[in-house]
Order: sequence, then structure tokens, then C-alpha cells
Amino acid sequence: MSADKSDILQGTLDLMVLKTLDVMGPVHGYGIARRIEQISEEALQINQGTIYASLVRLMQRRWISGAWGTSDNNRKAKFYSITKAGRKQLNAEAENWERISTVIGRVLRLADRG
Amino acid sequence: MFAWITTLASRMCAWLSPGHVDREFASELEAHLDMLTDENIRRGMPPEQARRAARIKLGGVTQLKETNHELRGLPLIETFLQDARYALRMLQKSPGFTAVAVLTLALGIGANTAIFSVVYAVLLKPLPYANPNQLVSAFQANTQEGIPETGTSYPNFEEWRAQNHVFSELATIDFHQLTLTGRGEPSEVDTCVVTPEHFALLDVKPLQGRVFFPEDGKRGAPPVVIVSENLWRGTLGADPKILGSSINLDKRPFTVIGIMPASFRSPFINSKPEVWIPLVQDPLFGSWMARRGGHWLAVFGRLKPGVSIAQAQAEMDAISERLASEFPAENKGWTVRLVPMQKEIVGDVRTALLVLLGAVGLVLLIACANIANLLLTRATSRSKEIAVRTALGAGRIRIIRQLLSETVVLGLLGGVIGIALAYWGVRALSSLLPDNLPRVNAIRVDNFVLIFALVLSAIASVAFGLVPALFASKSDIQSSLREGSGRSGEGGNRRRARSCLAAAEIALAMVLLVAAGLLLRSFSKLTSVSPGFEPQHIVKAEISLPQFQYSKPQQWTAFSDQLLAHLQTQPGLQDSAIAIPVPITDGYINLGFEIVGVPPASQSDSRLANYVSVSPEYFRVMQIPLLSGRLFDQQDITSAPAVTLISKALAQRYFPNQDPIGKHLNFGFPPNGDVSREIIGIVGDVRDTSLGDAPGPMMYVPFAQAPFWGANLVVKSTLSTSVVAAAIRQEVQKIDKDLPVTDVGKLPDLLDASVSQQRFRTFLLGLFAVMALILAATGIFGVISYSVTCRTNEIGIRVALGASRSAILRMILRETLLLTSAGLLIGIPCALIASHLIGHMLFGISANDPITLAAVAFTLVAVTTLAGFIPARRAMQVDPMVALRHE
Repeated sequence: MSADKSDILQGTLDLMVLKTLDVMGPVHGYGIARRIEQISEEALQINQGTIYASLVRLMQRRWISGAWGTSDNNRKAKFYSITKAGRKQLNAEAENWERISTVIGRVLRLADRG
Repeated sequence: MFAWITTLASRMCAWLSPGHVDREFASELEAHLDMLTDENIRRGMPPEQARRAARIKLGGVTQLKETNHELRGLPLIETFLQDARYALRMLQKSPGFTAVAVLTLALGIGANTAIFSVVYAVLLKPLPYANPNQLVSAFQANTQEGIPETGTSYPNFEEWRAQNHVFSELATIDFHQLTLTGRGEPSEVDTCVVTPEHFALLDVKPLQGRVFFPEDGKRGAPPVVIVSENLWRGTLGADPKILGSSINLDKRPFTVIGIMPASFRSPFINSKPEVWIPLVQDPLFGSWMARRGGHWLAVFGRLKPGVSIAQAQAEMDAISERLASEFPAENKGWTVRLVPMQKEIVGDVRTALLVLLGAVGLVLLIACANIANLLLTRATSRSKEIAVRTALGAGRIRIIRQLLSETVVLGLLGGVIGIALAYWGVRALSSLLPDNLPRVNAIRVDNFVLIFALVLSAIASVAFGLVPALFASKSDIQSSLREGSGRSGEGGNRRRARSCLAAAEIALAMVLLVAAGLLLRSFSKLTSVSPGFEPQHIVKAEISLPQFQYSKPQQWTAFSDQLLAHLQTQPGLQDSAIAIPVPITDGYINLGFEIVGVPPASQSDSRLANYVSVSPEYFRVMQIPLLSGRLFDQQDITSAPAVTLISKALAQRYFPNQDPIGKHLNFGFPPNGDVSREIIGIVGDVRDTSLGDAPGPMMYVPFAQAPFWGANLVVKSTLSTSVVAAAIRQEVQKIDKDLPVTDVGKLPDLLDASVSQQRFRTFLLGLFAVMALILAATGIFGVISYSVTCRTNEIGIRVALGASRSAILRMILRETLLLTSAGLLIGIPCALIASHLIGHMLFGISANDPITLAAVAFTLVAVTTLAGFIPARRAMQVDPMVALRHE
């Protein structure tokens, strides 16, 4: 797998995790994975384990924080929540993402017409 | 940037407590699995199936843990440690290779570290004073007379000090010996004669008491002295009441006002000073203070903060111009030259040390080339292992990293042993180092030197490891795997690389051998040059008369007459004479002279000659030939007409095509600077400044007409030095029991000591050249013997097809010679460049000396042929049947 492709995928997943945490508040890894699947209406079938790499990266950048707690059905789990820096990053990235997708969408439509 | 730092920080933390992080992640995954399983059960799956589905949904747990581990920890370091462990195992498996490589490297690094510790201590380490960059030396220079730097006079120094705005302080220093009496045996103490600001300028505090105040430097001030901690603890018996008590220097009482710590040294003085006295109190220099002419005072200063040396130079130029117009008689033509103090102290040792450092660097390069060669050979035989690794999915970078890890391990091993060698080497060097090397006391393997050694071994290991690693990682898997033995064929590239390395080794060895050869030949010329006198069987001794007691010249003459008379009655000591100074060992006194009736033709016509005061027997004792006229005799005393003997060089330079005998010269040792003396004879030239300097013009005067407050004895005797020394001591103490006899030694030994720096660098460079030669020879041996191994088949076929043994021998030797010639072809121009770099260190030999070049080339061809001959003989004995069956 080429480096560029995985970079984009990583970045995308990180962005989705950040957004999920922003919307849902503190939630555990399983919850994040479920949420992403639900939001994408099951279109994005990921190996749920892959979000953990994303979580580690975000933790290391201090964009999210983690703490052990108890889940709804009384299981010990690690809960993640977005930090102030993470929210700032999310806003910047989301804006960036929208701009890029608009541009790409425009280019693709252009190509269709051509 | 910030994100990068926090990432690294959290990775470091995780790396430092790996178990904890891994366990935590495992329980996190466990929780995730449980939740997934719960959900599946809720959807109606049986528990077994629910668990299975959850596992699939989550992905490979082991893989996840692995990824997590890599993400959280420091995988680079972990794989390096893993590689290093593997490398150690590999190295253990081939102890021969490891031993050779590590030892070669250890020698290279050890030698480099040892030499670097000298370079660091002498050249790089800042001077041991506060803000050493502000310290400068100030000299007088006279370009018209070709005098680059010399001292100044006290009145000039006072003007400099008063008129400048660039120095926060200026001070002076001079050095000689005084006789310490009244405390045990009379002894000579090394004395620094300074102006009072000396200590404040260097910003040093005394161990006890005080330093000099400006009042101590005024005329008529009571004599005070500062003693060193060593003198205080030694000769003075650590007397607790020393401050305020007095000691006798040259029979005059001085009040002790302070003790300087043992670590303090005055600049420019190589030996450890034992006492400091104000200039005004000095029996010798103090009497010269009023004279504006004369150049005997060493001046140094501290620049004001923010003042550059160029600014200071401009200011001093203006001051010296003013002085030249104000006092033209003494200062016309003289300028002031400022030099950073560090540069001044290090002097011309700098080039010699840098040459040595360069040489030892070349040795390390050769060592690296040798190890690279060994590694290339090994990489060839390991190509199968690497192919297997590649086939199993190792990337090129990963392979390079692993091979480099091996060489780094090798490099570190070599480095550690090298540092041990360096400790030993520095000790050996210290005993070899010439005494007159500046700052020699600071030499040791300290932290900075250790860091140098480690960095050096790291660089070296990457240098010799990278080429083989690149080659190995590029190898073609298919062919490598298919090859049966892994050694029957070898890529042309790799072979070319190895040949290039071997040729380069020869070229580098050539550079070192030529440099060493030139130095060796020049050193042998230097030591066999005739100094113009015969040093064999001559013992030299010094007696210095305390000036406060022996204040009149009549006393000096009386003492020396008495001493010589006593000595000459002793059997075996008849050939005794007095000379000040004794050539080479004592330095020289350079004085101006005038030829009576012949004014100088121009300003640039400098009339300078070295001045020696001798007793009549001197020329006979030293076997300096009389060329015409007569020698001094017992009638040449103060009441008789003043006479002089001139050297052949003076006669030829100043009296071309005429007979100087009967003419008069005006000169003399201050304060009797202007005495008209008749030339009564011409004597042979003497190398009196150093063995390496051509003899210059010299003028001799009879000791009886120009006595000194002391006597340097030269005694020609077949008796042993200790017997002669004892006899001299006995005779001296018969005259005055308080006089020490110092610096007793055989003249040949003293001459030997005068070339100790040359001997030191010649010896070291020779040693490095021999190391280089051995390394290059093993390099050639390695290449040729590997090539023979690879070509066993080919040789077998050749023999089977009827090639004679001698043809095989010739074939292999031709390969050797080809490598050697390639090396020589590159080496000769490089060697010529190098020999020009050391050109000024040579004596009596040209940097292009064809004999040295030819001898070195011949040696290299002979040694490498020998190195190639051993594998060639093996090739000769190849049995075609065995070789062919080998396939």
C-alpha cells in the first residue's frame, strides 16, 4: 500500500473520530466504532480495531483524552473525550475538508460535462 | 511543532513502561470484544457464534496489539536493539572477522583520540583565564629590519598604557631565575617579573594574602614577593606564618604578601613559576626600566568589552606613529602588532599538530576502507541470507538498517577498545611530548575528547558500513537464491568497489609514507648537521651570581677567574671555559653593531649579530676553528684595548673582498652599548640559535672585558658527567657556599633535546605511516585472496587446459600489481600536495625529493607484491580436478 493513500485514510478516520467525540461527548472505543458505522448508514464497514490506531495518534497529539470508567451495562471501558486543542483542530480540519471536497466535486462535474 | 513534541514525549513515556501500556490496551480490546459480543447476543446469536463474529468484526487482535505497540513506543530504537542483539550473535559466529575488524578500528580510533586530546588541550581548549577571548599579546615589529615580533621597552609600555582607550588593562611579564637562599639548600627559583596589574588583568585570586597593588610597582617601594602554592608547600615547608615574613632572592630580603594557587600559571611561561616579583624590584630587568631603546618586555592586555582586535590595532598604530615622531632615535620604523593570546601561545606548534591529526585521520580512513572491504566480502557470502530475508518481505531500507546496525555495533566495540587504547596512548604520548610544547599540562582524555571518540566511531562505522550495506540490499533475490554455494560468482560492481577501496588504501598509505619519509630524512639531516663546534665529551653547567651581593663587574670577573683557575688544576678538567650564552642550549643575544667609519648604506641595511662573551679557552674547548688573526688570550682584560672576534658569516656579509682584521666595530651588551672594539680574528661559523637555522653573523668578546653576573661553564672531559658535576659543585662552593650549580648536562644530550619537537612529530608520523602500510598490505591481501577463492574454478579450468603454474602466479601477481599501480597513480599527486603542506617543516630536503618518492613507491610495490604472493601461491597449487568437482 502506498504511503499517500494510507495517509489520506488515516486522516479521514481521525477526523471522523474527532467529530464523533465532539458530538457525543465521552465515549468508549466500541461506541465510536458503532457510531461511525451508524452515521455512514453501514456504508463504511471498518475493522473496528482500526479506530484504536486513530485513538492512539489523537491521544499523542493531545487532541483527545482518555479515562477508565464504567459503561451502560456495567463494563469497565476506557472513555475518550475531545480536548480544547482537539476541537480547534476539528474546526480547522473540517473547514479544510469541506473546501477540498467542494473543489473536487466541482472538478469532477466539470470532467463529466467535458 | 508542538504536536510533534508531545507525540515524542508520550512515546518516550510508553517506551519506558511498555508492559503497562500493552496490558492496558489488552484490557481495552477485551472490553470492546465483550461489548460487541453482547450486541451480537442481543441480536439473537448463540454466545459461541456471537464471540466469533465479534472477533471478526474487531480484526486480528495480535495485529492490533502489534500496531498499537509500534505506534505508542519507539519502534526505531526497539528494532535497533533487536538488530544489535542479532548483530552481536552474528559477530560471535565469526570471531576471526570480528577480532580483525574491531582491532583495526580500535587502533584507528585510539590513535585519533590520543592525538585529538593533544590537539584539544593545546589548540582548542580556551586559556584558563576569565574571558580568554579578550586577551591579546602586544609586540613591537620592524618590517624594514625583518623583525616580525619582539618585546618593547618599559617607557614605551608606559606610553601604550597611558594613551590607549581600547584596553581595560595592559601588563608585562618577563621570566628568569633568581637564587633563593636562607631556606635550606640554596636553589634557583623560576621567577616571573611582572608589572603590578598582571594579576588583576588575568582576574585571578590568591590562595592567601593579596596580589600586587599599583604602589608595589613604584620606584622605592619595599620589595614584595608572591610565592606559588608549590614553593610554599615544598621549600618553604608550608609555613603558616609565611605572609609578612621574608625570603631572600639573590641575597636580598623580599616580604611575602601572597600565595598563588598551584593551578595558576602566568601566560607564555611553560614551566611552573615559583615566585612573582614586581618589575621594579628585579635585579636584572629593573635596571633597564629607564631606557626607551631595547626590546625585552613582553606585553599583554585585556580588550575592553566590545572592542575588536582590529579596532585595538588601529589605536595602537596611531600610538606607535606618535611615539616614532616623538622619539625617532628609539622608535623610528617600529610598529605595534597585536595577536590574540591563544594564537601567540600556541605558536608554530599548530601546524605540526594539525599535520599529525591529518595523518592519524588518514590512518583511520585506511582502517575504514579495510573494514569496508571485509564487510563487502562477507556480504557476498551472506547474499543468500539477505535474499531469504528479502523473499520473506523485508524491505530494502530494513535490510540496510540491519546491516548498518551490525556495523554500528562493530564501530562501538572498536570505539570502546579504542578509548581504552587512547588512555594508554595519552600516557605514552605525555612521556614523549617535548617539554617546550605549550600547555602540555592540560593534555588528558576528558569528556570532550570522549565525545569526540564516540562520534568518530559512529561516523566511521556508518562510513565503512554504508557501501557494503547498499550493495547487499540491491542484490538480486532470484540469482542469489539459485546460487548453490553463495560464493562461486560475485557481481562485477562489488568486485570493482573492493578493488577501488584497496587502491585507495594504497594511495592514502603512500601519502603518509612520503610525509614520514621526508620528515625522517630531514630529521636525520638535522641531527647529522655539523653545528660548527664539537659537542662530544662536553659537560655544561650554569652558575648564577646573586646580583645584590655580586653587584660589580669586577666581582663577576674575579669569580669566573677564580673558578676557571681552580678547575684547571683538577686532573681531567683542564679543558674548561666560560661562555654566555652557550650555543643552542642557552638561546642567543642579538645586538646591533656599527662599523667604525662605514655608515650603513641604507635604512634597510640592518647590522645585527649574535653576541657571545667567552673566556680565552672557549674556542679550543669547543673546537671552533680560527680562520685568520689570533684568538683571545689572558692579556685581553679591561685595562687592555677592547677586542672582538667575528664569525666567517659576519666577515663575508659585511666585509666582502676585504680583510676585516684591524677594523673596529661599535657594540656591547647594555648598558655599555657603544664600545669600539678592534677585530683581531675570524672564527668558524656556529649554528647558535638552533640546529635547523643556518649560521648567522656572530661577534665574540672576551669575558674579562664584558663579564656577566654568572657563568656558563663548558668542560671537555672524558670523565663521567656526574664526576664532572661533583667537581664543579665542589669548586664553586669552595668560593661561595651559597651558590647553586644548575642545568648540568652533556652537550650532546642538550642538542638532542633541542630537536625534541622534530623528533616527536617524526616518530609519530613514522608510526602512523607504518600502521598505514600494514593496513594497506592486509587490504590488498584480502582482495587478492578473495579473488583467488572466487576464481578457483576458472584457475582449475586454466590449469586443466594447460596453463603452467608460473602463468597462474603471474596472472595473480599482475592483478596485485594493477591494484598497486592504480594506488600509486592516485597516491603520487596526493603525496606531493601533502609534502608541500609540510614543506616548511623540512630541513635540508625538498618537498619533491625524488629519492623519498621512489623509495616509498618501491616499498609499496614490494610489500603489496608480498601480500599478493601468499594467495598467488595458493592459486598455483589449485588442483584442477578438485576445483572442477567443486561446482
